[in-house]
Amino acid sequence: MLPIPIVVSLAVGLAIVVLLRFGAAPLAAHRWGRIALLVGLAALPLLTSAASVSYGVRESSTTRFCLSCHEMQDHGKSLFADNARALAATHYQNRLIDRDKTCYACHADYGLFGDVKAKVDGLQHVWVHYIGHAPEKLALYRPYQSANCLHCHEDGRRFQEAVAHRPVLSELYGGSRSCLTCHVVAHDRDSVAAQRLWQAEVR
Amino acid sequence: MNGARAIRRGATWAGLGLALQLGASFHWTPGSFVLSAAVGIPLVLAGSVQFVVAVLRVMRDKGAL
Repeated sequence: MLPIPIVVSLAVGLAIVVLLRFGAAPLAAHRWGRIALLVGLAALPLLTSAASVSYGVRESSTTRFCLSCHEMQDHGKSLFADNARALAATHYQNRLIDRDKTCYACHADYGLFGDVKAKVDGLQHVWVHYIGHAPEKLALYRPYQSANCLHCHEDGRRFQEAVAHRPVLSELYGGSRSCLTCHVVAHDRDSVAAQRLWQAEVR
Repeated sequence: MNGARAIRRGATWAGLGLALQLGASFHWTPGSFVLSAAVGIPLVLAGSVQFVVAVLRVMRDKGAL
């Protein structure tokens, strides 16, 4: 369920629209009635819808939203894989990314239309989930862009000074070498299958 | 009054759009979000446009434009 303020504003907006719908004729005969119609039938529904869709788009970028489809369950569990070499696990467990937007942090491009592309991909996911058939082994629609990694790591000291990175830095920056050439495990599903999972100590 | 009928039709569409969004907000899933955004929002937009067109038509008929 969406937050109470969004639900209440939608309910109030609907109630006002219904009231105005049945009182349209008498209201249209008076000046203030016409203003009420303008606010109630044009401005209010548009504003309420804008708030609703804005919240919806933001909510659709959250980790729990992505993992609400059963196809993504193993990928969700892989965030807890006890494997420091697994990219998703190490980013999540070490809080290198916002845990509420774990999937989105790495799977949305940071270019001008990155968000739009991510949402269009999301629509494809929804289609596959409800109407199509999810493949046995999930794969990205296109090769992973190292630019997404560099968006955060590009000028990071640990990244630039890593012994393994130094000889290939120019290739990484130029895009001729992918980060995934060496970092081959993104989601460690083997650890998930073997139940080798990490859990933070509760203090 | 034709204007009133057009305004009522616009209100019906906007109301349906809001009702759909309200329903989706109670059962928030990827599917209901897509339904809300792809059907609910266009219905509200269509209702608002219908309302504005009706008002403009009434104003034109009355020589107020």
